[in-house]
Amino acid sequence: MNRKPLIVRSGMTRRQFLARSGALGAAGLSLPALLAACGGGGGDAYDVFFENWPLYIDPTEGETIGTIDRFAEATGLTMKYTEAYNDNNEYFAKIQPVLGAGKTIDPDIIAPTSWMAGRLINLGWTEKLPLADIPNVANLDDGFKNPTWDPTGEYSLPWQAGMAGIAYNSDAAGREIKSVADLFDPAFKGKIGMLSEMRDTIGLILMGEGIDPSTISTFEEAAPAFEKLEKAKADGQIRAFTGNDYTDDLLAGNFAACIGWSGDLFQLETESEAVKFVIPEEGGTRWADVMVIPKGAKNIANAAAWMNFVYDPEQAAQLTTYNMYVSPVKGVREIIAASDPDLAENPLVFPDEATSSRLRAFAQLSDEEEAKFDEAFSAITGA
Amino acid sequence: MSLVEAPAQRSRLGSSADRVGLAALLIATVCLVAIGGKWVSGPLTSVVVLVLLAVIVGVIVLAWRGGTEARRLLAPYGLLKPGMLWLGLFFLAPLWSLLRISLSTKESRFDINYNFSWAFENYQTAFTEFGGQFSRAFLYAGIATVLTILIGYPLAYVIAFRGGKYKNVLLGLVVVPFFTSYLIRTIAWSTILSDEGVVVSFVKGLGLVPVLEALQIMDNGRLLNTPAAVIGGLTYNFLPFMLLPIYVSLEKIDIGLVNAANDLYSTNSAAFRKVVFPLSMPGVFAGTLLTFIPAAGDFVNAQFLGNPNTTMIGNSIQDQFLRQNNYPVASAMAAVLMVSIAALVLLYTRLFGTEDLA
Repeated sequence: MNRKPLIVRSGMTRRQFLARSGALGAAGLSLPALLAACGGGGGDAYDVFFENWPLYIDPTEGETIGTIDRFAEATGLTMKYTEAYNDNNEYFAKIQPVLGAGKTIDPDIIAPTSWMAGRLINLGWTEKLPLADIPNVANLDDGFKNPTWDPTGEYSLPWQAGMAGIAYNSDAAGREIKSVADLFDPAFKGKIGMLSEMRDTIGLILMGEGIDPSTISTFEEAAPAFEKLEKAKADGQIRAFTGNDYTDDLLAGNFAACIGWSGDLFQLETESEAVKFVIPEEGGTRWADVMVIPKGAKNIANAAAWMNFVYDPEQAAQLTTYNMYVSPVKGVREIIAASDPDLAENPLVFPDEATSSRLRAFAQLSDEEEAKFDEAFSAITGA
Repeated sequence: MSLVEAPAQRSRLGSSADRVGLAALLIATVCLVAIGGKWVSGPLTSVVVLVLLAVIVGVIVLAWRGGTEARRLLAPYGLLKPGMLWLGLFFLAPLWSLLRISLSTKESRFDINYNFSWAFENYQTAFTEFGGQFSRAFLYAGIATVLTILIGYPLAYVIAFRGGKYKNVLLGLVVVPFFTSYLIRTIAWSTILSDEGVVVSFVKGLGLVPVLEALQIMDNGRLLNTPAAVIGGLTYNFLPFMLLPIYVSLEKIDIGLVNAANDLYSTNSAAFRKVVFPLSMPGVFAGTLLTFIPAAGDFVNAQFLGNPNTTMIGNSIQDQFLRQNNYPVASAMAAVLMVSIAALVLLYTRLFGTEDLA
């Protein structure tokens, strides 16, 4: 019989234990020094702090100099740029206790999506832009002047814009998809993806029902779209409500069709012949990520210098060449046409008249109505 | 004579030391909860901090001056202090905040101040609107727990009784996948179960799709984004939590007992049923608690492996907190979840007993 001994020796003498813990301690003490050496400077001194979405600015690599470095060369100001803005609601939850209590947050510029910017502006948590110091604001494309989220145009300037439409995998779908109604085709049961972004999903469905989302102001007006979506979900038509992560499923064919964003689709179309993007016949939604200055920011003049810099058509062209979203600056198309005519003709980056006329921005809702919309939408997405 | 007198003396000293120690502990905990739960503000906070420090120092001084007997009796309370203070600040104080917010209302979603008004309608909303998510969460967690027992028990048995010198290696193999992050493991499952992936191709190759669809495991020819995928993810992620406690309790069983049973004309399977299995019940009990409770509140598996009809209560609470900014209803839902799980655990404890959890 194999009985285990009642007392088990650890097998280490006191001398060995002391020796080993001494070695460990010495290693531990030298660790910070090693980390500091390879971590690099990155100190605390900066002239302006911009917190933005990921993959939204061209880096410096090889021979191309990124926008931030060109800004430093042109104006002598150092910019601290972080990509910590991942989700509007998540970021809002972070800044709400700070700005709500009247304190200030670190970034001098943030780039929320237009509806979130509208919410911040209505709550009084943003500073007025010193437009006198931003002469390049004259280059702002007419389509973005006095938008629904910032009627006076004094609090925000768009960073990049985009469109939401239908992205589909022609192999998985088996046919062309042209309208919102196709998303509700029973042949695609369980293979449709929709966005967890309420305004894009409900916006497209509203247009499918013939309702213009840029003119609604109450929940009752949008109720038909919510009912349709609820029914589709209960029937199992919708496979998932996704954030940015629809791209893998679309490539793999898990989704026959889904609602997607134009910038993502640019990359996807190069990866797969089967993936296509289309603005539906009934219309698509237009959105923008806009730069706002949070209340109490310390470096407002430097922030203005940055905005002036990126509204120069040359700089804006380089930005757009990298991130493939729609630029809000006039004259970018001509500059790009000179070096890359294909890109200048790409409908995802430079939509033509026919497409632009079908795009609508979702109306800015009041707080109470927005709460109703959000509640109804989250009841459907089940989250 | 000393044998008769000493116990009475000791018990007198004992009870007063108990009272002092307990009082000190309670006062210190209440002070910390007061600070953490913001019952006091401004200069009153410094008063509370002073009281807290006085109580801690007071007990130490008493033990110092009192002599060995007092030290010995006050020692348990002194040792409990760090744990209780930690719990007080990081568990009881936030719990108080949660309950308070669950009974409050806010003017607008973006306000940061609450009006405490015994708002029981928050609890009503939590029950009526999210009843489906609650029941799904308990159902999925329950099925996942049963599955982990079915998978984990045989595995633990083999490792404990047949492992021999490879016991540690085998245990290590079970635990190694869990060095990666929970999120990554779940996302990996969504790749494994994808429509063109290994598992579905295998099933299709064997022609088992109609069978699985009849069992409601597959839906329309896919395995991902179904309730089965969510339950599978939960089972996988919580398997070590079931396996390790069962292993520990199986390992302590002396194999000599089975030999004794055999000597008394028992077959091996009867010996297992009557000797080994009842002795391992404490491990199964502990493993069940460790699996069911976190699984009921889980939201990651439902988010990545489920569809909009399989959301669990964890998803809803997260949504209410982060998207709707509706802290009162979200707090009510969290409180209801805590109370329901506590009730279920108490019931379970009654049925299965805790005499021998070790």
